Amino acid sequence: MSNTIARSKTIELRVLRYRPASDAEPVFVSYRVPYTDDMSVLQALQSIKDTQDGSLSFRWSCRMAICGSCGMMINGEPKLACNTFVRDLTPNAAVIEPLQNFPIERDLVVTVGDFVKKIESIYPYLMPKVPKPIEDGTYLQTPAQMTAYESFSDCINCMLCYAACPQFGANPDFIGPGAMAMLQRYNGDSRDGGQQFRLDRIHGEDGVWACTAVGVCSEVCPKQVDPANAVNQNKTNSALDFFLHYVRREQP
Amino acid sequence: MSERRPFHRPQPRHWWAHKPYRAYTVRELSGVAVAVYGAILLVGLFCLWRGPDAYAVYRRILASDWSFVVHAVLLAAVLWHVVTWFEILPKTMPKLILRGLQLPQRQVTAMARLVALVCSAALLIVVVALGAMS
Repeated sequence: MSNTIARSKTIELRVLRYRPASDAEPVFVSYRVPYTDDMSVLQALQSIKDTQDGSLSFRWSCRMAICGSCGMMINGEPKLACNTFVRDLTPNAAVIEPLQNFPIERDLVVTVGDFVKKIESIYPYLMPKVPKPIEDGTYLQTPAQMTAYESFSDCINCMLCYAACPQFGANPDFIGPGAMAMLQRYNGDSRDGGQQFRLDRIHGEDGVWACTAVGVCSEVCPKQVDPANAVNQNKTNSALDFFLHYVRREQP
Repeated sequence: MSERRPFHRPQPRHWWAHKPYRAYTVRELSGVAVAVYGAILLVGLFCLWRGPDAYAVYRRILASDWSFVVHAVLLAAVLWHVVTWFEILPKTMPKLILRGLQLPQRQVTAMARLVALVCSAALLIVVVALGAMS
């Protein structure tokens, strides 16, 4: 391995660093990293941490685009560091920053608390239409019914869509594409009966109506979840619900 | 003691002018052309309501060189709006499931563009036919 790296090319990574105890604001620090063609940006950062600067902070876990931990801005684009090869970056130099639109905790680590609260707010679990005891068996679903929501269930909560969303950048209270994808995953499920609870969470200006259909959220999604579709089809649902609530009889 | 001091980076001021947001900005601005063209037609209706003299002035203005240039620019912008608006269309509707499979979004876009083209052509034929008969 060491022989391979010794013979390999090098790249300059300009990493935006922020150490709250000592830095007034984030500053770029350059590292020159040897790399091989099979090396991801995450591995390059790990190499820096192992051999050059142990204080460099970043989140990671699975290394295979499943956990959604290592989202960051790579040359200005939101990407998963584990899913981006160093060889595909601009020859000899690349800029690595924490995810746009999120407060920076330290180096490449951003604050995720608000995002988690948004996910919690939309009832991210099945609320069966008619509860039934276990002995009555499972809730059945046809493949077509599953297709209606399946892609939304692929979301890994990596928040790249939030980093790409200029409306979330302008209004951090906007519920945002990721939480809306989660909402549609359940609202589009034929077994679910919690649609009204979730719709009630997204009517306001911080709900679906903050979206202006920029669409870049879907372009940067590493799982092809298409959160822009989740947000925009719920504008129709929200508008319909606004008019229907005049004629709907209140539930006892 | 916690050393937490989250740093809030400001959003870039001119984000809308840069890739990948530039296409969105142009799409939205082309929507202004649709509104402007609608306003021009409304002014025509208003002149028609005012009487033959007012309508004659409106037609004379439409026949001017700068009016031709304005209409050429508006036509280009409106065509661009039609093309790009239908790219967004599949994002605004539920997934279409046919025989258990999702209809690809590009097919929805292609069908919508075809319908717009057929409707526009039909309208043009009707207008030309009515003009020939009058």
